[in-house]
Amino acid sequence: MRNQMNPQIERIIQNIEKVMIGKRTVAELSLVALLANGHVLLEDVPGVGKTMMVRALAKSVSAKFKRIQFTPDLLPSDVTGVSIYNPKEMEFQFKPGPIMGNIILADEINRTSPKTQSALLEGMEESSVTIDGVTHILDKPFFVMATQNPIEYEGTYPLPEAQLDRFLLKMQMGYPEMDEEMEVLNRAQKTPPIEELEPVVSLSELKQLQLDIKDVYVDETIKRYIVELAQKTRTHSSVYLGASPRGSIALMKACQAYAFMYNRDYVLPDDVQYLAPFVFSHRLILKSEAKFEGITAEEIVKRVIARVPVPVQRLVK
Amino acid sequence: MRTVNSKRDWGTFFLYAFGFVLLWEWIRPLKELTDTGYLYMFIFYIFLSFVMAFFHVRMWISSPIKIFYILSCVHVLYLEEAFFSPTWFKGIFADIINNFGLVLAGEWVELTNVFRTIMFFVLIWLMTYLIHYWLLNRKRIFLFFVVTLIYITVLDTFTPYSAKEAIIRTIVTGFAAMGILTLNRILTKENIGRDFSFSKRWMTLLSCLIVLSVTVGLIAPKAEPIWPDPVPFIKSLNDKSGGGTKTIGYGVDDSQLGGDFVGDNKVVFRAEVESKHYWKVETKDYYTGKGWIASDRQSERITFPIESVVPIYDFEGDVEVREQEAIIEPFISYPHLVYPFGVRQAHALDMEFLEFDPSIEKIYFENNRSTIGRYSLSYKVPKYSVTKLKQITSFQQARLDRMFTQKYLQVPATLPVEVKKLAEEITKGHETWFDKVRAVERYFDQAMFSYSQKDVAVPGRNEDYVAQFLFDTKVGYCDNFSTSMAVMLRTIGIPTRWVKGYSGGEYKQLGSNSRKVYEVTNNNAHSWLEVYFPGSGWLAFEPTPGFSNNVSLNFDTYKQETPKAETPAPVKKPEPVKPDRKEEVDNKATSTFSFKLFWLKIKLFFKNEWEWILITGLALALLAVIIYRKRSRWLPHYLLFRFKFKKNDDSFGLAYVALLKQLELYGLKRKSDQTLRDYAKYVDTFFSTREMTRLTDRYELLLYKGALKNGTWEETKELWENLIKKTIA
Repeated sequence: MRNQMNPQIERIIQNIEKVMIGKRTVAELSLVALLANGHVLLEDVPGVGKTMMVRALAKSVSAKFKRIQFTPDLLPSDVTGVSIYNPKEMEFQFKPGPIMGNIILADEINRTSPKTQSALLEGMEESSVTIDGVTHILDKPFFVMATQNPIEYEGTYPLPEAQLDRFLLKMQMGYPEMDEEMEVLNRAQKTPPIEELEPVVSLSELKQLQLDIKDVYVDETIKRYIVELAQKTRTHSSVYLGASPRGSIALMKACQAYAFMYNRDYVLPDDVQYLAPFVFSHRLILKSEAKFEGITAEEIVKRVIARVPVPVQRLVK
Repeated sequence: MRTVNSKRDWGTFFLYAFGFVLLWEWIRPLKELTDTGYLYMFIFYIFLSFVMAFFHVRMWISSPIKIFYILSCVHVLYLEEAFFSPTWFKGIFADIINNFGLVLAGEWVELTNVFRTIMFFVLIWLMTYLIHYWLLNRKRIFLFFVVTLIYITVLDTFTPYSAKEAIIRTIVTGFAAMGILTLNRILTKENIGRDFSFSKRWMTLLSCLIVLSVTVGLIAPKAEPIWPDPVPFIKSLNDKSGGGTKTIGYGVDDSQLGGDFVGDNKVVFRAEVESKHYWKVETKDYYTGKGWIASDRQSERITFPIESVVPIYDFEGDVEVREQEAIIEPFISYPHLVYPFGVRQAHALDMEFLEFDPSIEKIYFENNRSTIGRYSLSYKVPKYSVTKLKQITSFQQARLDRMFTQKYLQVPATLPVEVKKLAEEITKGHETWFDKVRAVERYFDQAMFSYSQKDVAVPGRNEDYVAQFLFDTKVGYCDNFSTSMAVMLRTIGIPTRWVKGYSGGEYKQLGSNSRKVYEVTNNNAHSWLEVYFPGSGWLAFEPTPGFSNNVSLNFDTYKQETPKAETPAPVKKPEPVKPDRKEEVDNKATSTFSFKLFWLKIKLFFKNEWEWILITGLALALLAVIIYRKRSRWLPHYLLFRFKFKKNDDSFGLAYVALLKQLELYGLKRKSDQTLRDYAKYVDTFFSTREMTRLTDRYELLLYKGALKNGTWEETKELWENLIKKTIA
């Protein structure tokens, strides 16, 4: 991309890159989700640096970082927090759970029971949790990065489609390249650099950034392009259920954040094309025939993009 | 949804009424124009259909009623068996099945009246249903209204049907129906309930508008018709007894010459001959002052065997002759033969005798039978010696038979004396008959005479046909010229006769024995005259401008004057395709409608010039294809020029889109899913520049942000021009 990045965002990314090697794309996309007030679903195997990524992000924006390791026996109260009777005070005292943070890593979300999953997902959707009849407003910004292990199926509770819809983006971390991995080893010999990270953006600045992206202009032509893409996923022959209007909104918001990141106050079709696979693929339900053929949702989104013409002229009204 | 009751309101009632009136207008003219009778039956049928539709009579009730009505009508009109008896049914069914066969065979004329009536009822049934559908479901009647108007106006223009009131009726009912339908549509669309006061106001306004527009239409001054009423002309075509314009062709009656005629290029016959010449059918000798008749009206036909010598003696003495043969292939069957000057014998395969009318020198086939079989003719083409012709100077020398001179010098007593004076004046200073004849012939070559088939006068009761042409109108066709010359020569004592036949025709192809085939059409019908020279015989002359007969003359010792029309070698002036004779018709109404002539001219133009039209058309098409295929060459120049003087920033978007198209033509194709940025990079890589990217940045701003900085076009013009120029290379 030719455009210069927004300086504040550039600083965050550079900060993350101090500890994460070769993961600029993931950092960018995570920031897109953070700026667009969305959440991220990371689908990857353990040990590729998901936690590191989230912690680095949290540190860079001086946000409260919390981590929840989901296990089959985790209870909703373990996520949201619990009221405990304090004999000294003679009353129940609320002990906030890990959800009461700014940036939360929900590790292996598919390993816990749906009940616990919904406790997190409710918080993600409503920005609040209700415990013992008391509604607790969550901190702002509130950003969840959930991970899902794609290879283990025994004893997992795959997220239902409706809940997958809550995530703005879904992406893979991927293994590092040869050189990158060697550099990782080099750094691991010394003290973990994560401890030395300094915040580069204050929380209030981040909130301001989240407000700013709403001003990014989305032209009618672009909106139409987004809607056409969404509609094409609905009519695709391999798709059982296409992207919902919520998906179209998510794509538009992600595009706004992405354009803002690159210092633009308007959205390009390039942004749409780049982000659409991340936004749409987890929202599609494929037909079983397509699954048998080994077609992935990402491929379908790419085919849809190839089929919808890019708007290059003003709409004729 | 409105209930059935509300549907059956006054608006619907009026709609049906108007639909009924409109359909009635279609039936009305039938009485006058066709032989359809008992129209009230059909009209009542329409009425019945609409009434049943209005009261929502169910299909299974209304259809049997209609069928019963139709069958009753058929019964009343045509059938005699007991109504609804088995034989009656059998008869009807047999008739219908029989007629279906005829329809499939295309034998339209054979269809019985019963069947046609039933079919007409079925048609009306369909129409009533269609109108019902238009009015109530589509709520639109405009199409039907316009078609009705066209129907009425066309009938009014081209048939004797007078649609004066019909137009008013149609306009009123059509407007009213459309007004009500519009109201219904608005009510449905805006979801307004049936508001009585609203409808009432609407109706009042609608009535006022209709009354106003009809009144204005009635009292407003009307433009004159831009063409004359074609009805008399069409009538004259349909009805041989009426009309003033004649179609060209061969007619028998020449006693009333004059009047217009229109051309007709029906082929009469094809002739295979050695050289082109005129074809005679008959000659006439008695001039009445209005036209020509035969002097001997009591003569009997002579029957003679085919192959024997035809009793026509066109020349005498020791005239030099050439034997020739012609084969005639008739396309239109006439009872008479066409024959060349100097005919000797006729040959035909299936014919034994010919008949000959000596009074007009007309040869008929046996028993007046009309044939279209081929026949051949052998004839002698004379070559008169001019020296001998020029020896004839006066009547005495001719020593002609008294009967003969009476016959061929006859002029009516009513012939104005000016004709003779004019003839004498023209021939003054010429001694010999030949020179005199030539002088009179030349007289018609002057510019004051013009050839025309239009606006040719018919002599009045006390007028002479020749005098009118010579001194008054001076406009005419072959009849005028040939008759005038024949009569003028007679007044100065030179025997002449008037010949009718066909001119040489149009060359078509090469025939057998190096002969040529000419096609003679009705347009070639012609008249000319023959002059008698004692000692030589009859010699044809051609006073009509633009025509030439190939007469062979021997100019052995005759060198005083350069001959004008007749040269020793057969002259082949291009034959002007001019219709030249006409069918005589009694009634001479003065209609100048010449639609057919106009059409003929267009057809002639295409017929004569079709090669050029085809070549030009093909060349233009080829040129267009080449220009289109090579557009990548010239389009950039055009674009450069087009945007050169544009200062406005609005041009930027247009220019960019034009550039995209041009780049595509150049071969840098953008995939439909390729973004402009990507494409710009691709283009820039191709041209090793950064121009496209810079230009695209601006265009993205315009397109995806809807904002453009002032002066963008001025700034980027150079980039744009550079890119366009790159596509030229």
